[in-house]
Amino acid sequence: MEAKHRIGIPRCLMFYRYYPFWQTFFERLGWKVVVSDGVGKKGTIIYFEDSCLPMKLLVTHSMDLVGKVEYLFVPRLVSLHPSFIMCPKFRGAPDIIRFATEGRASVIDETIDLRERETSLLRSFLRIGQRLGASKKESQRAFQEASSVLLRFQMEWTNRINLLPTRKIFEMDVPTPLTQKKESPLQVALIGHPYNLFDVDINKDILGLMKDLGMEILTSDSLTEAEIDRQISGLSKEIYWSSGREIVGSLFHFLRERVDGVIFLTSFKCGIDALLQEFIKRRLRVQRENETPFLILSFDEHTEREGLITRLEAFGDLMEQRKQSLQVTNVPSPQRL
Amino acid sequence: MKVTFPHLGTMHIFCKAIAETAQIPYIVPPETSRKTLTLGVQQSNECICLPFKIILGNFIEALQMGADTIVMVGSGPPCRLGLYDLVQKVILEDMGLHYRWLTIPPRLTWEALWKNYEETKELKKELSLKNILLFPYGLYMGWKKMMACEALEKLAAKVRPKEMRKGETQSRLKKALHWVDEAKNPKALREALQRGMVYLEETEQDFSRNPFRIALVGELYTVMDPHINRGVEQKLGELGAEVTRTSWFSTHILRSLRKNKADRDSDRGRFLEASKAYLGYDVGAECNVSIGEAILRSKEGYDGVVHLMPFACMPETTASGILTQVSKDHDIPILTLILDEQEVEGRILTLLEAFIEMLQWKRNTASVFPAA
Repeated sequence: MEAKHRIGIPRCLMFYRYYPFWQTFFERLGWKVVVSDGVGKKGTIIYFEDSCLPMKLLVTHSMDLVGKVEYLFVPRLVSLHPSFIMCPKFRGAPDIIRFATEGRASVIDETIDLRERETSLLRSFLRIGQRLGASKKESQRAFQEASSVLLRFQMEWTNRINLLPTRKIFEMDVPTPLTQKKESPLQVALIGHPYNLFDVDINKDILGLMKDLGMEILTSDSLTEAEIDRQISGLSKEIYWSSGREIVGSLFHFLRERVDGVIFLTSFKCGIDALLQEFIKRRLRVQRENETPFLILSFDEHTEREGLITRLEAFGDLMEQRKQSLQVTNVPSPQRL
Repeated sequence: MKVTFPHLGTMHIFCKAIAETAQIPYIVPPETSRKTLTLGVQQSNECICLPFKIILGNFIEALQMGADTIVMVGSGPPCRLGLYDLVQKVILEDMGLHYRWLTIPPRLTWEALWKNYEETKELKKELSLKNILLFPYGLYMGWKKMMACEALEKLAAKVRPKEMRKGETQSRLKKALHWVDEAKNPKALREALQRGMVYLEETEQDFSRNPFRIALVGELYTVMDPHINRGVEQKLGELGAEVTRTSWFSTHILRSLRKNKADRDSDRGRFLEASKAYLGYDVGAECNVSIGEAILRSKEGYDGVVHLMPFACMPETTASGILTQVSKDHDIPILTLILDEQEVEGRILTLLEAFIEMLQWKRNTASVFPAA
């Protein structure tokens, strides 16, 4: 089918989890999907409000797309889980974009709230399809295909992040390399919001740096929801942000699984991370069980790659030493699943 | 058992009234000071909001003074306030302080009541029948005192811009609040309130002044507590502005009791309605109300809006971005003050002075060029 028009998706925030879905959906409806380039070499970030770096990047990326596309896809992500919610900043994001672009872009700001009913996601996308002039049947078919593409993508996830350069992970025409079974010296779990993990503008390509240092990366994407729920079931109060649950749950999971190290990536001024970071630190200290090296890295627009390398190298040495000392003292090496 | 509660504006007066009337032993944490804040800051990180740090500081000080049971208002999603207790509990535990925690449910639901029941089960053993029987009376006294405090504060906001001697209203307000605090029964309270109102009215005033009208909007802790906002309300008043705010304890309590939810004519309902032109969804906490109030106040002829928020507050960050747009569209000056522990003496005063001067300038030009 020939491409009708162009629809722009900013390369930021939940792009780093749902892009395969969004791309397939719009392409099946006959639209050409344009993804923004990012801040580029100059690194100019456009500010609208004094928010966290990921939100500032949303403005920057959207401004990049203005004029190049008919529609800008910035959905109002209220909740992506039947009972838990997203950060409140996501609720105002489309409005911020509307004002930042001064009405020069037509924003698709459909509300996505999975708490309403089981089929809310489909309903939201049907409404989006309607707005783009597609029939209900077309939208439905596109939705189904998009769902299966996302599912396939998620199955190949661990291979993709470990074997592809970071920028290529979300390029859908790049095939997933087959597993090359090599004994990786260090298994490191990366936890954090998906955009902190995969947005190279935020984290200066920490994935690449880690791979250069010979670390194998695990992320919370490989965990099931049931496992995460199980890990945090004992808390005195339910954490109501789905990303927050994922962070705390996967941290406890990886610590129990005895990976070689855990790195928690946060953005400066992220409200959820600030609170949970304190919670995690204190809880580990109170319980006195944890012996796994744990590193918290906080990013903002002034983070430099060199500093990051130093810290990662030091963390790598620490993990290496610990591993060796465990072998020397003949402590049976912990079982891995 | 010794109950304690955080400071928030005049909250200690009526929390104390409840405990005192019901004859439950209590400890009022020392007045929020630099030390309180330092304690809170040391035990948290830079991006956690200011109310968290101050409340934590209050708790630490109270626990060190011998309190053992913390009563804290609960809250729900999406703002961080709802998870304060989760984190504060583990911080206190890590510090080696012993406490018991009692959450007042933010919304009256069966689930919340059940949780409350679970939490209070232990505590009830320590309460005598007398305590329990007196408790409703305590609540009544607390409510009456709260309303009395609010009435006094509202009056003070009106008197302050007209006072002849700077600072007189504040000292009179302090005295009047003290009388309310001292009152032991409803009759004494009525008299104290009456006396306080008259005493405030007696402030020497210059009635020829035409004060600016400024609306104070923003996150509720920063709006309500003079320690957190470093007395913005008082400073604005003394600079010659009549400050209106809609964030009071009674509004928030009534809201959580769902009393004024159906009432579309309530201030809050109007503000939420007005914000719809700018925000397509309820962002949570006070974000939409801040925006809606700024819009409506500009239509009501207010001179300016002061928007308060703690550093890194999630909903209000969105609000601050949109308020710049509101300011342009509705031609109303809006000053956003971001508050955290990094505070240089005089920063806020300088900002407020400049803001008032700007309003003065705007008023002067408007009288010279009425068409503009």
